[in-house]
Amino acid sequence: MKRNHVLCGSASVLALLLAGATLVQNHALAQGGGAQAPRLDVDPLWPKPLGNHQILGSVTGVTVDAQNHIWVTHRGLDSLGGNEKGPTLTPPASQCCFAAPAVLEFDQPGNLIGHWGGPGQGYQWPQAPSGIAVDSKGNVWVAGAGVDPPPAGRGRGGPGGGRAEAPAAPVPGDAHVLKFSRTGQFLLQIGAPGKMEGPDSQTTLNRPTMVAYDAAANEIYVADGGNRRVVVFDADKGTYKRHWGAYGEKPGDAPSGPYDPAAPPPRQFRDVSCVKISRDNQVYVCDRRNDRIQVFQKDGKFVKEAIVSRTTLGDGAVWDVAFSSDPQQQFVFVADGHDKKVLILQRGTLQQVGSFGDGGRLPGRFYAVGSVSVDAQGNVYTGENLEGKRVQKWLRR
Amino acid sequence: MTRTKNVLIGAMFVALLTLLGVGQSMFGQKAAAQGTAGGTIEVPRFEVDPTFPKPMPNGWYQGMSIGVSADAQDHIWIVHRPDSVSAKEAAADEKTGACCSKAPPILEFDQQGNLLRHWGGQDGPGYQWPSSNHGITVDYKGNVWIGGNGAGDGHVLKFTQDGKFIMQVGKKGVTADSNSTEHFYMVAKLFVDAKTNEVYVSDGYGNKRVAVIDADTGAFKRYWGAYGNKPDDMNMGRYNPADPPITQFRNPVHCAELSNDNLVYVCDRVNDRIQVFTREGKFIKEAWVSKTTLGDGSAWDIVFSKDPQQRYIYLADGHDEKVWILDRQSLDILTSFGDGGRQPGQFYAVHSLAVDSKGNLYTTETYEGRRLQRFLLKGTKKVPKGGDQGTVWPTQ
Repeated sequence: MKRNHVLCGSASVLALLLAGATLVQNHALAQGGGAQAPRLDVDPLWPKPLGNHQILGSVTGVTVDAQNHIWVTHRGLDSLGGNEKGPTLTPPASQCCFAAPAVLEFDQPGNLIGHWGGPGQGYQWPQAPSGIAVDSKGNVWVAGAGVDPPPAGRGRGGPGGGRAEAPAAPVPGDAHVLKFSRTGQFLLQIGAPGKMEGPDSQTTLNRPTMVAYDAAANEIYVADGGNRRVVVFDADKGTYKRHWGAYGEKPGDAPSGPYDPAAPPPRQFRDVSCVKISRDNQVYVCDRRNDRIQVFQKDGKFVKEAIVSRTTLGDGAVWDVAFSSDPQQQFVFVADGHDKKVLILQRGTLQQVGSFGDGGRLPGRFYAVGSVSVDAQGNVYTGENLEGKRVQKWLRR
Repeated sequence: MTRTKNVLIGAMFVALLTLLGVGQSMFGQKAAAQGTAGGTIEVPRFEVDPTFPKPMPNGWYQGMSIGVSADAQDHIWIVHRPDSVSAKEAAADEKTGACCSKAPPILEFDQQGNLLRHWGGQDGPGYQWPSSNHGITVDYKGNVWIGGNGAGDGHVLKFTQDGKFIMQVGKKGVTADSNSTEHFYMVAKLFVDAKTNEVYVSDGYGNKRVAVIDADTGAFKRYWGAYGNKPDDMNMGRYNPADPPITQFRNPVHCAELSNDNLVYVCDRVNDRIQVFTREGKFIKEAWVSKTTLGDGSAWDIVFSKDPQQRYIYLADGHDEKVWILDRQSLDILTSFGDGGRQPGQFYAVHSLAVDSKGNLYTTETYEGRRLQRFLLKGTKKVPKGGDQGTVWPTQ
């Protein structure tokens, strides 16, 4: 398997040399029987540099809209280290960098064509935005998942590294999702920061991570991570419709303890880090640190589950999922941030048939790949959280 | 229009280079740094090579990358800090995930970007590995020198390219003493003078001097501080651009590079300045680069262009996230390139520089940059004097 990779790598370099100007590497490889996994090559020069000394913070959401535009959310300034936000300090310490606006819209060539985000009238901008979704009416949904406690570790240069800063005043934890027009005009807020009434609440959320829109019913599905449930609201009025936990059961908020690959699958979600709806009306839910995907009907009836990379501990293997662009959506791409790759599953069987990427900071490598989305041509976009701070495009071959 | 022009110029330059032969001049006759009509100047043109290096085998992961050097075979050597690789990054070592493992600290790449030799990280018979890696130099005999800027690191180490220990100068477990002739304190980098077999030691993060030792015996020969003064370990407080220039270096003294015409260029990093000396330590001149830069400072590392005259200084500015190009004689800033970010050609904390025989530039990034990048020399281009080029991507 390893040798195949190397061979394939050499072949690609050879092709690259022959082609002269092509800049691609890192193929996705079919790793076993069954359907042929799609092959994807990184495009190292996408998107175009933002300019104005603007950079991405930790990327928390990537999605593709009906116009094939790519939308990105990231954590901005609060995720930048002291020594990568010099001009924002008092006094200014350096020429670079500024955080790009929280919501970014790119066209297919990678030009930044829209950007907005931040506090405004009538709503509370999240402490840290999480997932982003653009519904079929062109409205943009942003989940507010807040921030984890700062990681322990070597201070130099990491988040909070560099010059010491005064600790920020406590901010009420994010517990809401927001709906905007595609130009950033506020439309609706569900939930409110700091207001968390548990997994049976019909009006509050707890660190939601992502939303998915169902055009048929005009409903919005919320991955309500802190409440370990999926909760559904009317997409215009924000009124409660229904909710469920793992296996379609009542969600609980008892502590789970650490994930144990040898233990039977827990009856509760540990995380709900994504929710996506397939064309055949199945609801896919990422249970990140349980390394599993659960699939439901739209009414919450449990259909099936798959454990993906069962032995992965730490931050877990199932951070986000996206479906391939073919009409049958034959494949599911799984952003496995802890193992630093995107896994390719056959959607019917949820068996792994390939993967792409590996750990590192070079093009085509990942650190904390946590977001994945697919455009109309089958190209894949990935977003990297933590210190990855990138969006990468993978070309469908 | 501009692109066409650049491509034409590039193509003409390549043809010119081919005619002249690589040994002649990296920049041709027209590349003089003098201003021309319209306030534009001609400067070396770089383009990032996003395919270099290749991913390492064994799921190896690179940490803060705080040194790079090109050897006589144009192999690229880097030193990084495996202990800066987080538990999340080194999930295979931690047995929490499939990827990755900390790579050994010393890594050698060929021109195709393949990893060749790799070693280091442990004490051995007769030597102590630094508690924090810093700086790598392959000398004219092919030996590999490293410094170290961890607590107590008062030494430099010399190895063969296979990692066989040759010499340790200084020792571990010391504190600052910029007038010591026994040890250093937190050495940033080394440069070996082929003509005299002397080593110029950027000393460093703890001391505030350039020290010169014999490359074979390690014997101390001379040392000096800013302006050639006797160095002083007094705490100078924080850099303030409005104050008169201080008469000592601040920590860290981050580079000391000898030019072909025997001038020593010293990076006084957080003072945002370069000071130039004779080999004996006589002060000649100084210049500031981005004088308002605070924090980590702007003058991180220097390498000279590969033409025999070393017409240009390339200067890594890890806080402003760019590489400056200076005219070496005048120390005037000609242009800069690079910008913040994690995409190819962008930087987070660009820390170290090296140039290969073809004039291509290599950068390593510390903090969360953690990359080796290559910038291919593509002839020259016209830019407004002092103008910033931003991210330099291939133009096809």
